Amino acid sequence: MRGERQLLALGEYLVRRACRQLPPDVREERYREWAAELPAILHDPQVRFALWRAARMLGYAADTLRGTAMMPGTARGRIARLRAAVDVPLPVAGLVVALPAWAVVQAPRDALNYLRLAWGLLFVAYLIRSRVRPAGRMTALLGTSAILAAWAVLLGGAALAPGDWVNYVLAAVVLLPLLAYLPFAWWHRRRQARTGGHNAADR
Amino acid sequence: MRMTGPLERVLGAFLADPAAPRYGYDLMKAARLPSGTLYPLLARLEHQKLVASAWETPQQEGQRPRKYYQLTGEGIRIARLELARAAARRRRVPTPAGRPAPGSLG
Repeated sequence: MRGERQLLALGEYLVRRACRQLPPDVREERYREWAAELPAILHDPQVRFALWRAARMLGYAADTLRGTAMMPGTARGRIARLRAAVDVPLPVAGLVVALPAWAVVQAPRDALNYLRLAWGLLFVAYLIRSRVRPAGRMTALLGTSAILAAWAVLLGGAALAPGDWVNYVLAAVVLLPLLAYLPFAWWHRRRQARTGGHNAADR
Repeated sequence: MRMTGPLERVLGAFLADPAAPRYGYDLMKAARLPSGTLYPLLARLEHQKLVASAWETPQQEGQRPRKYYQLTGEGIRIARLELARAAARRRRVPTPAGRPAPGSLG
């Protein structure tokens, strides 16, 4: 797989960051355990597409950050989870909030900059919320709002430059997953309501 | 032991073949849980001596050893008991409001 070494290095970096939150006596062992799973996920023969395997591997590595906040021996509770949650998104937040904020300062009359700033804030709020409570209703609301705000930003860009097809393509790319996700979320919620939150395999 | 949905899934995954040692990613797929939920659960089960862990011996040069988990004898007993209790609790869940229970109308 192309870029495999870089992907593994990124995964190992995330796992190492997660392990930093653990007590020193278990840190190295946890790192060895979790890092050993990364190549196995990346070469999982049951997952057909390489891109999906890579996404799963990075998701696994990133989620260990949330997990370490709940491990026995670490500081538990809402504050610890929140600290773990903001650990990764902070550099992202710096980019998606600071850049439009700077653009607003530079051109306060440009409405599109305010829209970009709103998208950045929603996106960061979603990132943090999804790591604190991934299955919450507020998480889904923030995620949907962030996607719609991104869509509005792209349409605003398209209105300013009607000949630039990139904006239309990106708007479609942003909106299509949401349109596909909403019926799935509706179906999943109905299924959970029917089974009382448990799958038949668990019984 | 406080039975939660994720714990129920992990115990269910272990009990599918109690003699088989399972590694983290395998359990993640079987229980359909993310790593951030699974590992704290495994650590707690291990702390309660319901699960035992062991490192595998690498088969090839350069291969990283993986850590395998398995229910202990006590773990199997408690897991079966707790899953049976959870199933019994679900059967006792009252019918939704507005819909009378079968046989309750004269």
